Amino acid sequence: MSNEELHEEEELDLASLPDDELVQQMHDDLYDGLKEEIEEGTHILLERGWGPVKVMNEALVAGMTIVGIDFRDGILFVPEVLLAANAMKGGMAILRPLLAATGAPPVGTAVIGTVKGDIHDIGKNLVTMMWEGAGMEVFDLGINNPVENYLEALEKHKPDILGMSALLTTTMPYMKVVVEELDKRGIRDNYIVLVGGAPLNEEFGKAVGADAYCRDAAVAVETAKELIAARRAASVEQPIAVAA
Amino acid sequence: MSERAQRRKGGGGREARRAARIEAKVPTVPYITRNVPCYEVMGEEGLAVIEAQAETILQEIGVEFRDDAEALQLWKEAGADIDGERVRFPKGLCKQLVQANAPREYTQHARNPERSVQIGGKHMVLVPAYGPPFVRSLDDGRRYANIEDFRNFVKLAYLSPYLHHSGGTVCEPVDLPVNKRHFDMVYAHMRYSDKPFMGSVTTPERAQDSVEMTKILFGEEFIQQNTVMTSLINANSPLVWDATMLGALKVYARNNQACVVSPFCIAGAMSPVTVAATCAQLYAEALSGMAFAQLVKPGAPVVFGTFASSMSMQSGAPTFGTPEPQLVLYVIGALARRLGVPFRSGGGLCGSKIPDAQAAYEASNTLQHAMLAGVNFMLHTAGWLEGGLAMGYEKFIMDADQAGMLHAFLKGVDLSENGLALDAIREVGPGAHFLGCAHTQENFESAFFRSTVADNNSFEQWEVDGSLDHAQRANKLWKQMLKSYEPPPLDPGVDEALQEFITRRKAEFPDSNV
Repeated sequence: MSNEELHEEEELDLASLPDDELVQQMHDDLYDGLKEEIEEGTHILLERGWGPVKVMNEALVAGMTIVGIDFRDGILFVPEVLLAANAMKGGMAILRPLLAATGAPPVGTAVIGTVKGDIHDIGKNLVTMMWEGAGMEVFDLGINNPVENYLEALEKHKPDILGMSALLTTTMPYMKVVVEELDKRGIRDNYIVLVGGAPLNEEFGKAVGADAYCRDAAVAVETAKELIAARRAASVEQPIAVAA
Repeated sequence: MSERAQRRKGGGGREARRAARIEAKVPTVPYITRNVPCYEVMGEEGLAVIEAQAETILQEIGVEFRDDAEALQLWKEAGADIDGERVRFPKGLCKQLVQANAPREYTQHARNPERSVQIGGKHMVLVPAYGPPFVRSLDDGRRYANIEDFRNFVKLAYLSPYLHHSGGTVCEPVDLPVNKRHFDMVYAHMRYSDKPFMGSVTTPERAQDSVEMTKILFGEEFIQQNTVMTSLINANSPLVWDATMLGALKVYARNNQACVVSPFCIAGAMSPVTVAATCAQLYAEALSGMAFAQLVKPGAPVVFGTFASSMSMQSGAPTFGTPEPQLVLYVIGALARRLGVPFRSGGGLCGSKIPDAQAAYEASNTLQHAMLAGVNFMLHTAGWLEGGLAMGYEKFIMDADQAGMLHAFLKGVDLSENGLALDAIREVGPGAHFLGCAHTQENFESAFFRSTVADNNSFEQWEVDGSLDHAQRANKLWKQMLKSYEPPPLDPGVDEALQEFITRRKAEFPDSNV
């Protein structure tokens, strides 16, 4: 079946849809990776008086949850999830300043980078994409990062999560160097440290002092959500804008 | 229309995508047409040496045509020298008969015209394994095959997007009387599949029954004009044709039906131990058989078949997936093209008892070489275990998956603008990734062959999924396939006529197992 045949209806006027249908349409548009439509839908809901937290949770995060499930089940392919995440990012860019203004805690923020000596970043990029798709704000440090880069980014962005990746067995021990440096400075417990990469396993994650090892991008999202929720629940009882 | 409107129109969200993906059938072709050249292991000079030796065998040593006075008479009239049952051929006679009469390629019609196959030339038709008396599955282990197993393999071949043909004796239903089981076997191919199939060859009468049944299915006039069966006629190497095989061949040839004329040879026992000698002997045997078909009915479609295996000189057991038979396969492939007839060989051959690493290595060796050697009709593509003694349910799924890879490989290299994708490289540039670029978005779904059996998840995901090995995953798949099976439609009148014919014929003589 060609795409043309999939959906016969003419162009939709999003503004003409009642709220529930618009949200439903935005879930579909997220699924289809339609960034402009998501941005338009986000504006329309805000104009109708929806709060940014409600828009984020009901229209965007809920829609991306569906994408995540179908990615896990092998229905959606990586390039499709990438498009969806990009559409999500478009919506979140509109909401983020408004969310900050309301004082609501963000879904989560992360600093991520491939460790020193390692230039292999496809897996790290997939994690970035999936985190952004889940509504997180992600600061991607790219490849070949010495400990100073991480320290600087942590200081600057004060994220919930520090993510590190490596593909080489010769570079993966550097994760321990970073964690030990955080320890030394007494800031290790300010962050959730997540590690990933093909040659790692759970045991290695523990050995370098990370909070968790994430075997793939989908698991990285679940782990990030769980650990952020647990951390916030443990610190103060405050409303958390994280969708399960 | 703006781009956005087009995209909106192309959406539909989860429901549409899920429906499309779940419904999405692997794009199927009725047969493969290769865009990759055949590989050859020797040049014309070498092939001429092999052919000269084959002609010497035919002229000096000759071939026995046993218990068939008509065959001897036909050969006598054709100018051969008859000495008892030994037939010696003037040099060039067999080759001339084949080249002057046999088609270079032919169409075998299926009852569903979309599934008709082209046998010969640049085409490759993949066919299930043939002949095993046992079946093996992870659930039941090894046991004798029955008609239910037979139907199951017909159904699995029907459902496989990568097998083009329903085959013949996909397993031997030993629960049915020997002299009547062919009715149920041929009927199963006709009823549970709409792909082309093979007829019975175990006696001339059973070949005739197969022909009569195709008359009901296709119409009498149609089958006299067209080929609707390709059946397997084996030589008893070395250098013997027996009355059973000759009888079946004559029935099929006279009815314009195709025969794979195929020496079955375990080198070391049934031919000399060396590659060149085996090739020359096989060529002589096949030439004499194919030429005989042309004496019976000029123009009868024939396929130059070889089944050559090596053997363990310690135990006498046949061995598979070994290098020497692959060399035979390449040489015979080249000889068949040179002669101008379709070529049968290859398959997922192995000596292993179970769907293990030995089975996979040996089958893969044979499948890959057969593909490169230019096989046109690949009998035994799926299911073969234990030197052909057992049909494996899991092995069938594993082999059919490999058959899919042959499809992808033989497409060759796409040099179109889309294939070259210069725009994608421009778009992405150094240091970034291609996962999101426009070209990837347009091509990702069909870009790579996707195995349904292999597991490429992370170790941890694989563990969560039950730490299943290849055979265990295949076990799940064949069960799912059989559960989802729905028979292709068959005209109720035709079905009734077939059943009536079978009932009548079965009542005409008592059951017998001899």
